[in-house]
Amino acid sequence: MARAALLCLLRHRTAAATSTSPLSTYRCLKTSNSKTPAAGVGRASFCRPFSSKAAVNDVIGMDFANTDSGVAVMEGKERLDPFSLVADELSVIASRLRSMVVVEVPNLASAAEYFFKIGVEGKRFRPTVLLLMATALNVHVPELPPAGVGDTLPTDLRTCQQRIAEITEMIHVASLLHDDVLDDADKRRGVGSLNAVTGNKLAVLAGDFLLSRACLALASLKNTEVVTLIATVVENLVTGETMQLTTASKQRFSMEYYMQKTYNKTASLLSNSCKSIAILAGHTAEVAMLAFEYGKNLGLAFQLIDDVLDFTGTSASLGKGSLSDIRHGIITAPILFAMEEFPQLRAVVDQGFDNPANVDIALEYLGKSSGIQRTKELAMKHANLAAAAIDSLPESDDEDVIRSRQALVDLTQRVITRNK
Amino acid sequence: MLFCRGFSRISTTPRKSLLGFILSRPTEPSQSLLSNQYLYSTIKVCGGRKAFSWSLPSLLGIGRQIHHSSSVIEEQFDPFSLVAEELSLVANRLRAMVVAEVPKLASAAEYFFKVGVEGKRFRPTVLLLMATALNVHLPEPAAASVGDTLTTDLRTRLQSIAEITEMIHVASLLHDDVLDDADKRRGIGSLNAVMGNKLAVLAGDFLLSRACVSLAALKNTEVVSLLATVVEHLVTGETMQMTTSSEQRCSMEYYMQKTYYKTASLISNSCKAIALLAGQTAEVAMLAFEYGKNLGLAFQLIDDVLDFTGTSASLGKGSLSDIRHGIVTAPILFAMEEFPQLHSVVYQGFDNPENIDIVLEYLGKSHGIQMTRELAMKHANLAAAAIDSLPESNDENVIKSRRALVDLTQRVITRNK
Repeated sequence: MARAALLCLLRHRTAAATSTSPLSTYRCLKTSNSKTPAAGVGRASFCRPFSSKAAVNDVIGMDFANTDSGVAVMEGKERLDPFSLVADELSVIASRLRSMVVVEVPNLASAAEYFFKIGVEGKRFRPTVLLLMATALNVHVPELPPAGVGDTLPTDLRTCQQRIAEITEMIHVASLLHDDVLDDADKRRGVGSLNAVTGNKLAVLAGDFLLSRACLALASLKNTEVVTLIATVVENLVTGETMQLTTASKQRFSMEYYMQKTYNKTASLLSNSCKSIAILAGHTAEVAMLAFEYGKNLGLAFQLIDDVLDFTGTSASLGKGSLSDIRHGIITAPILFAMEEFPQLRAVVDQGFDNPANVDIALEYLGKSSGIQRTKELAMKHANLAAAAIDSLPESDDEDVIRSRQALVDLTQRVITRNK
Repeated sequence: MLFCRGFSRISTTPRKSLLGFILSRPTEPSQSLLSNQYLYSTIKVCGGRKAFSWSLPSLLGIGRQIHHSSSVIEEQFDPFSLVAEELSLVANRLRAMVVAEVPKLASAAEYFFKVGVEGKRFRPTVLLLMATALNVHLPEPAAASVGDTLTTDLRTRLQSIAEITEMIHVASLLHDDVLDDADKRRGIGSLNAVMGNKLAVLAGDFLLSRACVSLAALKNTEVVSLLATVVEHLVTGETMQMTTSSEQRCSMEYYMQKTYYKTASLISNSCKAIALLAGQTAEVAMLAFEYGKNLGLAFQLIDDVLDFTGTSASLGKGSLSDIRHGIVTAPILFAMEEFPQLHSVVYQGFDNPENIDIVLEYLGKSHGIQMTRELAMKHANLAAAAIDSLPESNDENVIKSRRALVDLTQRVITRNK
């Protein structure tokens, strides 16, 4: 039914447009703009006034982003749920993942699968993005393959791309396992961290194991460019973690250093795996770069909001204690912005945050400053860049493609409007 | 006369002890002079036939050669020196590869690549020798043709395998030391003791990631698979060691499996990778694999023996460290077969030092040490046999390298540290 509504709207819009000239496209968009929240305005500035493309795509995009608009695509004012678009496929991937981390040695098995068990897989954000990207790049979802094909060489493109999602998730969890060891964390995803439950040793081993399984899966794709990209991700993850662990004072105050670290720690995985999806599909370097840009900006936006939520969120919603960054002495974007406004904050930051009084002082300055606001704005800027990358993809009339691209754009908004 | 004498001596001895005879001479590292010359004998033993060919030693200033003619057969050249220069090249590249922008990580990562602490560099030696043994030569310096560029490239790629292998090996050492709370490694403080567990874990990850990137650069996904499998095996082996049930601890089969994972897999799969990159057939690749596997197993079995019989000074770590950590190795397993009453002692574990003394007593009474040495020799011979089964070559360098590989199988079992 939703699809029918979508089609209706398409036809309606196409008929209504007097011409498909760039100018009219722009005018259409501009009219809708006036009602849009800031997010919409940001997006409009990235539309293509000189594109000869039909207005259709852009209009639909605008409506999705425009939560206030009365012209929601779905008649029932239903926002398309990006996660539901790929829910079935995600289950298949999750099952395959669980079977991929099975190993003969029982202790290692339970350690490795710790975070793939049902209920603790996390939001599965990354696999969602990747599967949507795969469809968005013109590849249809075939009949889902029968269960139990986890070990066979993937022969068709979709399976290969699903494998990227699996690999990405394994690398991600491996890095979480090691990070928790490094941080002496005792909670993760609402349950005890693996190191808290089974000890550091098994956590380190399990992380190594997942990494090796990921490498094996990577090799099975037989695409050396993809292997290089994902290998780079692993390196970036480590570099990012190290940057965080060992910053000298000057670097801690540098926004540039912070953004580089954030790219390494968070965005690199998304950007390079998106790019891998495109490469596997045989796309041009330009398209691959657009996929990369989407992932990168999405990841950066995600992390910036994460930083904000660490100050403004609650324990219950985050699954981890709030203010955890600053308590660990990690200086994030809001504080960095605040320090620009209040240089005296530097002295406090320099002293470190072992003394809880310093945390209070920093929070006070933060409250007075526009640190939170500016971070949100920066996040929005990146979210819009991500959406723009999707908009720049080569046209397609395919409904699935269009829908997936919508969903990807929608995600950029969800990432910055979430409160947990 | 030399020939005759040599011939007659050789013709009467069965193959196994022939090799033992030829190669059992104590090694003298100072013989590097000889190693670079064509001081060599090829012994091809095919079935019952024994055919010998001697290449006359070069007379280029080998005084020792001329004056000690009888030692032509007995002179043993040093396998390590055959590849010494190349090893330096690899070592330098390794140091350059583990440079990181973040200073602390850099010093952590290069901790075990610094001059003086690179270890025996056993694995890279084996791999470089294997590369030559499989007909991939070091290019002549004066060469300028395309063919030689290809050779250079190929050789560089094979050197890359040696680097990657070493990075994976050191990464596993770093993580293992964290897991074992070890405070010494290679005669110096372990990295975790010096810089803390966190940096040690991170440095291990860093090395692994650098290995991944280098692997990717080889653009050969089969090789990527092989070495990824190695990492998995290392982890599995370590876990097997950490989490054995009592029953498994007493099982020789379990022990050999664990040993394969922890020690032999790296050498076997990287030897195989060398063969694959060199464009060899699957059969040759399998022979390379078998060499590495049996060499690794022999190495570990002797390591187990030395843990009982060696000294602190020579091992660089305390002796009896295995048993003190509750790790039951081959000598004990053999002893348990002879003296079933040892089972109950082993079951109890070794937190109580008295149990260690009891075990040592039984071990002394049993043939455990002897049987382990014999098992090691069996594997060493299997390794040598694999080399002998390689496709024939008349190339001197190939012959020399194969000789060196065989020599290594003997060194591994005759070493005392």
